Amino acid sequence: MVDVFNFVEAIALVPLASFVLVLLLGDRMPKKGAISGIAATGFSLAISLWVVLDLAMGGEVYHEELFTFVAGDDVGVELMFGLLIDPLAALMLTIVSLIAFLVHLFSLGYMNDEGEIGLRRYYASLSLFTFSMLAFVYSNNLLMAFMFFELVGLCSFLLIGFWFRDDGPPSAAKKAFLVTRFGDYFFLVGVVAVLGTFGTAAFAGEHSFIIEATHVLDPSHSGEMNTFFGLGEQAWITVIALLVLGGVVGKSAQFPLHTWLPDAMEGPTPVSALIHAATMVAAGVYLVMRMYGFYALSPTALSIIALIGGFTAFFAATMALVKQELKQVLAYSTVSQYGYMMLALGGGGYVGAVFHLTTHAIFKALLFLGAGAVIIAMHHNENMWDMGGLKSRMPVTYWTFLFGSLALAGIFPFAGFWSKDEVLLETLQHGLSGEPILLVGYGFGAAAVVLTALYTFRMVFLTFHGDPRTETAEDPEPIGWNMKFPLVVLGVLSAVAGVINLGAIKEFIGEDALFLKKWLEGKTLDGELGSLSAKEYHHILESDYAAGYEVTEISPLGPGALALVLALIGLGGAVALYRGSEPTPHMTKLGRVRTLLMNNYYLDEFQVWLATGLTAPLARAANKFDQSGIDGVVNGTGSVSMFTGQRFRKIQTGIVTNYAALLTMGLVLLLLVFALMGGWF
Amino acid sequence: MFIEGILAFTLASALLVFGSPDRYAGKLATGLSLVPLVGSVLMWLDFSSGGNALLADGNVAFQNTVDWFTFTFDSFELTLQWNVGVDGVSLPLLVLTTVLTTLALVSSWTPIDARQSQFYGLMLLMEMALIGVFTTLDFLLWFVFWEAVLIPMYFLIAIWGGPRRKYAAIKFLLYTNLASLIMFIGMFSLIFGLGDAISTLSFTEIAGALRAGELGSFAGMEAETLRLFAFVLLFVGFAVKVPLVPFHTWLPDAHVQAPTPVSVMLAGVLLKMGTYALLRFNFTMLPDVARENAEIIAAIGVLSVIYGALLALAQRDLKRIVAYSSISSMGYVILGLVAFTPHGMGGATFQMVSHGLISGLMFMVVGVIYNATHTRMVGDMSGLADRMPWTVGIFVAGSFGYMGLPLMSGFAAEVLIFIGSFQSTVIGNAPLFTAGAMFGIVIVAGYLLWAMQRTLFGEFSVETDYEVGTAPVHDIAPMFVLLGLIIVLGIQPDIIYEAIQNAVNPLNDPLTLAVDFFTGGELQ
Repeated sequence: MVDVFNFVEAIALVPLASFVLVLLLGDRMPKKGAISGIAATGFSLAISLWVVLDLAMGGEVYHEELFTFVAGDDVGVELMFGLLIDPLAALMLTIVSLIAFLVHLFSLGYMNDEGEIGLRRYYASLSLFTFSMLAFVYSNNLLMAFMFFELVGLCSFLLIGFWFRDDGPPSAAKKAFLVTRFGDYFFLVGVVAVLGTFGTAAFAGEHSFIIEATHVLDPSHSGEMNTFFGLGEQAWITVIALLVLGGVVGKSAQFPLHTWLPDAMEGPTPVSALIHAATMVAAGVYLVMRMYGFYALSPTALSIIALIGGFTAFFAATMALVKQELKQVLAYSTVSQYGYMMLALGGGGYVGAVFHLTTHAIFKALLFLGAGAVIIAMHHNENMWDMGGLKSRMPVTYWTFLFGSLALAGIFPFAGFWSKDEVLLETLQHGLSGEPILLVGYGFGAAAVVLTALYTFRMVFLTFHGDPRTETAEDPEPIGWNMKFPLVVLGVLSAVAGVINLGAIKEFIGEDALFLKKWLEGKTLDGELGSLSAKEYHHILESDYAAGYEVTEISPLGPGALALVLALIGLGGAVALYRGSEPTPHMTKLGRVRTLLMNNYYLDEFQVWLATGLTAPLARAANKFDQSGIDGVVNGTGSVSMFTGQRFRKIQTGIVTNYAALLTMGLVLLLLVFALMGGWF
Repeated sequence: MFIEGILAFTLASALLVFGSPDRYAGKLATGLSLVPLVGSVLMWLDFSSGGNALLADGNVAFQNTVDWFTFTFDSFELTLQWNVGVDGVSLPLLVLTTVLTTLALVSSWTPIDARQSQFYGLMLLMEMALIGVFTTLDFLLWFVFWEAVLIPMYFLIAIWGGPRRKYAAIKFLLYTNLASLIMFIGMFSLIFGLGDAISTLSFTEIAGALRAGELGSFAGMEAETLRLFAFVLLFVGFAVKVPLVPFHTWLPDAHVQAPTPVSVMLAGVLLKMGTYALLRFNFTMLPDVARENAEIIAAIGVLSVIYGALLALAQRDLKRIVAYSSISSMGYVILGLVAFTPHGMGGATFQMVSHGLISGLMFMVVGVIYNATHTRMVGDMSGLADRMPWTVGIFVAGSFGYMGLPLMSGFAAEVLIFIGSFQSTVIGNAPLFTAGAMFGIVIVAGYLLWAMQRTLFGEFSVETDYEVGTAPVHDIAPMFVLLGLIIVLGIQPDIIYEAIQNAVNPLNDPLTLAVDFFTGGELQ
């Protein structure tokens, strides 16, 4: 049989080829390059599925150095590009290429059929994005991951700013890049620190920095690592972990760097689905998963992750409650859901986080594409108060959107129920064993469940139920098969994807149905998956020298039922408030709280102030100082020289007797000097 | 004799172009400049790196030494030599010079519309002097070329510059000339301090003697004081050229007044003379002083990065923005040099080349926009993307290059410098200095993104009355060449980085990793 790993490089390189092709020839290609993108992502999807199949059949993890970036001449640190395809990477490759493929299809309807111009730029950027994201996913070291992480940011910039003729999109694009850049600054310091400390940034292999770090924490090897600033080994590892976390917080839109994501909704909706919901935003949490063995070494870093995650989950959900634009609700919901993944990672729930990442990618892509369909139908009016009654007018969109919403709200038996349950359960289990911070995170997460169900069904009711509130909603524009097909695929997946890891089912049938857990654990602890296995992470988490987490075994039924009840309370609230043909805007009753929420707690204003109210005046002051202070001295020196020059010019009188007098005086002076120095007297 | 051939040919072409009619001068000069370009590329292809030219065990490529004449002093004799040759540090800069000159000449076709033969002649003359700076290995000879660069530059700014060209040109000339004087005093106090320890002014001999500790006393200063005295004078002299804060104020004036191709040469190559000389003199000949004062030098580097970036943030003129960014980028070079680690010094040298390409590209693209709109003020234009898509595409690509986007050369250069300076054992608390300098990557993103948003995007409008349309092919083509080089070097830095490493590594400490049991990156 042909070995699939002969082709794995192509998973990312084929979209790259598509990028080059579309960039050069896009205008002359069928559908302005869409076909090329569809073919490329379809190819990547096929190979990714093949890889998954191969691994499932017992194939080996693939780890190969491919390309020397900087050889280092034997004395400097060597910088390499390589591929690491383990179960986690294979799963993520599949998710990314699947969503990218469906989004390309959907774009045919959203962009081509609507007669948008600039499609070559659009499809070239999409292909470049797919390339960067896939390459990021299978990077085998932290530096390479950083590089593609940044490229993904570039693509996000290009695509958010796609409609550059308006004022909003370029501004949003700038904000997105700048805010994530701020996070990436810490990330890059972290990358440099990893290379400077361990001499390698490899994720896997005998001498990966993760293994080295684990090694030095082992008490029998203490003192083998030089740290900086007199910090202890674990403290230094915590510092590095938190630095890298800066990039994660930026890209995965966690508090306080989440502000760029809602603005990013200025981009075309398929882009929002692909980049700002399912894949790029996932890059942050994926990075934590990729180096989870490292994070597991630092209880401080884990606590901070859990706290940020739990808080963000709740905090973003409150803002989603009052938003009027469909995509804004989804944007805040995205921020909130990534908070859950962070909560799980901080809470020691590696499998839960991966699970939620997977289901979220599916149902959130679905919701965004559904929103895209609604936006086309509504002629780009996104205000939900102008909609209503779309249920009967666009049934395919309605039913798929409903499935996605049920999954998002965590209603049994949709995908989101299982994964959110797992996230909360694992956090609770570790929290109950003496980790109060995790319990705080759990509290936030549980409270957010109510809010999630409430805002989700507020959105569903306002958009699809009741009577149409505008003429456009009376007679929406029909959408084509190229938009319906992706919706149906994702709708079905949203309903059934939970099956990959049915947590609570063991209590009923007496058998584990934790396929994802087994998948991530690999075959054995000492098998080829080695340090990348979920089992190994578990082992590290529970070691005293690392996080030192313990598990309180509780039945998954209790927390599961609680989560479901909470979700149903939220759902019930939405039904009570927004059903009926003429729903009232209840949120206005919140008064000043609503104003606060509508203004996103004034965090955006604060960040704008940091840029324009703090940095800009500082820069202006520096500029003023530079012009009058430093350059003033320079020009002052010039003026003084000119002035003295003019004065001294006056001794050049042109009268011979004056010169003779000066000559004589000079001679006398010289003689005196010589006489004094030479000791003539 | 290869280097002499290139020098002679460039000089001859300059003279030829001076005498040619204005109509053909541009094309003629460009055509002639292909010869040194091809020559330097041939040298590159033939080059097999062998250490540092200034160290005794270094192996200088294309070297040619001819004794010229001898000065006799009281106690010793100095032979002046014709001494040329290149190593892994100078050869990349030589190729950068010839490449940028040819591209700058092409980019002159549109904006230069008066006294063309003189303009192109001076450009070639400057190229000749620059080639001399990067290839000569004898101090006096080198100094002649070093000063010779200033003369064509002065005229190029003073004649073809903007409204305040006279002021900018004279400021440039006086400031840098004064700096040369200071540097010259510093160097000669070393030469006299060495006395009969050297018999020629060859860099290799001076460096060898100084590194061997053969410096005596001079002018009442003991060797220890003399070293420091000379180091400071040399450092200040070169810092003006780089320029480092606080010696930078001539730069924005010169750039804003200079025509586009002159700015390209100024930012792309002339600034590198300063960092090249710092590497050759301060960090190679007097490494002990550099090590002892590493924190101060690193602090100057960090200050240049952050302060330069803040100044760029305050500007409204596109050209000033790019000009101030150069100060910021050169700050990284200093930080890398003083780290005395393989990637620190290597990355710094790589950054010289990379910044030459990227800043050259940015000045070109700003020039093309100016040709079309006749304004460079950010507030005066918006929405150019609709009218000049190619130019805007290059502007966006170049800006991201400047911000250090991975897979472009700027990222490779900066990340190497950061790794190198982080690992430095010479700079105390090196990680803090590194992290401080790295914040520059956030500020640079701030002002370039802001400038792009305001000028390139939004609804089209321009304050001036000019018809804005797509730029001619000969304006676009050189920018694409630069962009291509930036991307190629960004994907595969080793194309030049290997040779650079080979030349700078003998200057560095052997690397000690923090984890001492680390044994290499083999895979499981």
